[in-house]
Amino acid sequence: MVEAASGFVAWLGVSLVVLSDGRRGLALGMALGALGLAGVSLPAAEPIGAIALVAGGAVAAARRFTAGPAGWAVMPAGSTPRLVLCVAGGLLALWVGVAVMTGSGGALRFAVMSVVGLTGARALAGENASVVQTALALLAVAIGAGAGLAPHTLIVWTYLAAGLVAAAVTWLPDRVQRAA
Amino acid sequence: MLPESIELLAFAAASLVFALAFAPALAPRRALAVQGGAGLAGTAAVAAAPAFDLAVLGLMLLAVLQAAVGGKRTFAACLKAPGVAVALLALAALFARAEGPDLLQRFAAVGLAAGLAAAVGLLPYLHTFDPEEPIAASPVAWLAYIGPVVAAVIVADAHGLLTADAGAAFGAVLIGFGLVNMAWGSVGAWLTENTGAAWRYSFAADWGLALSGFGITLADGRRAALLVLFTVVLGRLPLYLVSGRSGKAPVTDRPINLLVAAALAGSAPFAGFAARVLLLRGATQLFWPLALVLALGMLLWLPGSLRLGRSLGIPRRRQAVGVALVLAANVAAGLYPLPLLAAAGL
Repeated sequence: MVEAASGFVAWLGVSLVVLSDGRRGLALGMALGALGLAGVSLPAAEPIGAIALVAGGAVAAARRFTAGPAGWAVMPAGSTPRLVLCVAGGLLALWVGVAVMTGSGGALRFAVMSVVGLTGARALAGENASVVQTALALLAVAIGAGAGLAPHTLIVWTYLAAGLVAAAVTWLPDRVQRAA
Repeated sequence: MLPESIELLAFAAASLVFALAFAPALAPRRALAVQGGAGLAGTAAVAAAPAFDLAVLGLMLLAVLQAAVGGKRTFAACLKAPGVAVALLALAALFARAEGPDLLQRFAAVGLAAGLAAAVGLLPYLHTFDPEEPIAASPVAWLAYIGPVVAAVIVADAHGLLTADAGAAFGAVLIGFGLVNMAWGSVGAWLTENTGAAWRYSFAADWGLALSGFGITLADGRRAALLVLFTVVLGRLPLYLVSGRSGKAPVTDRPINLLVAAALAGSAPFAGFAARVLLLRGATQLFWPLALVLALGMLLWLPGSLRLGRSLGIPRRRQAVGVALVLAANVAAGLYPLPLLAAAGL
């Protein structure tokens, strides 16, 4: 039950990232997405891995809360295609992750698939640096969570690396210098 | 780290030294050294990553760092294709690991091949390009500096992620992408108006050969891919840097221009020729009509290479030394490629 709820929270978070253009909306989406992904990862990641994902997401959300276009800007005019993308993407991820794929970890597969797909689409369509940075930070957390499906022994390092990359992506300046 | 990756990293390091020593100073050399060194370190981190997920995370960090370098494109525009690449690779890993019907593995194979193409900046995911952009911020850095190592890592990891059947599908998709890039890249290098864009298309055409080599799951295919990547990193990239890139140099028809055109076209005795022979041999062993298609595609290199060779103008002083070194290295690798192949364990 906790896993299913976490999967829904992750989808809700990534949907906010897709639907928002303002820093507050993006920050809330980032925080919810990371929290949901940490929740679905808990059985495989154990507390240390889940904490790494949440911490990385929290740092990224804090950065986004302090920098970027002002306000919430959730579902601004002309965002209907994005809303359709979120709903259709979520349904597709739910069907593939739970019905087509088999075995345990359905919530993890649904959450990772929906977050990776929707953040990839956001990175492709985004025109603003803060939007793309937030999408990539959440994508990094999802990649870390996806390691829970892998049989390798470096899984804890992957969670830690994902948290670090998520934090770094949003804190890096969007331009170091203007070259000729 | 794979021997192939180590060798490709060494090629990239050599191309950085070449850029610092011989390329026209369009940007401060110290900035180029710092940015190139950081790119090399990031690429090495991707190559050394002990797990696929870590390599993909490293790739993302590398893309963000490159986007932070000042260029003509916006930050968001720089990250579109790499962002899609990372998402495709992550989805492919998920599909490869999940239990379920065999079709999932096929989707994973397509995702890995598409992610590779997007990461490098090949068709159908060409990065936005501005010929006036500094090389460190340009998509050419992905095509000829970071991309070869990333491709070697993805191909190696794909064989660990996919089943044998899906591995064959992965090879087939790579060959498909390779043929498209060969045709589109070589025709684009020939017919596009802007000389800088023509150089970019010529990189894509060379990558078509490399992808076909990776897709031919025989030793000759891998050998051909390595030699093609050698010609990209230590042939086409240095010549592109020396050319001044924007195509503002006067067009000339001196012997040096014809020599450069021959090297770019993969004529004997340059390294590109050995790569093409190996590729055709591998394709013949795998499925002979493929060799026929590849041979026909290779003919398309000639007009574009002649154009690019002529656009070099007459190199003088330091640039002339650089061009001579590049041609000599490519002749040496073409006449005796065995040490390169042996060092990569091929």
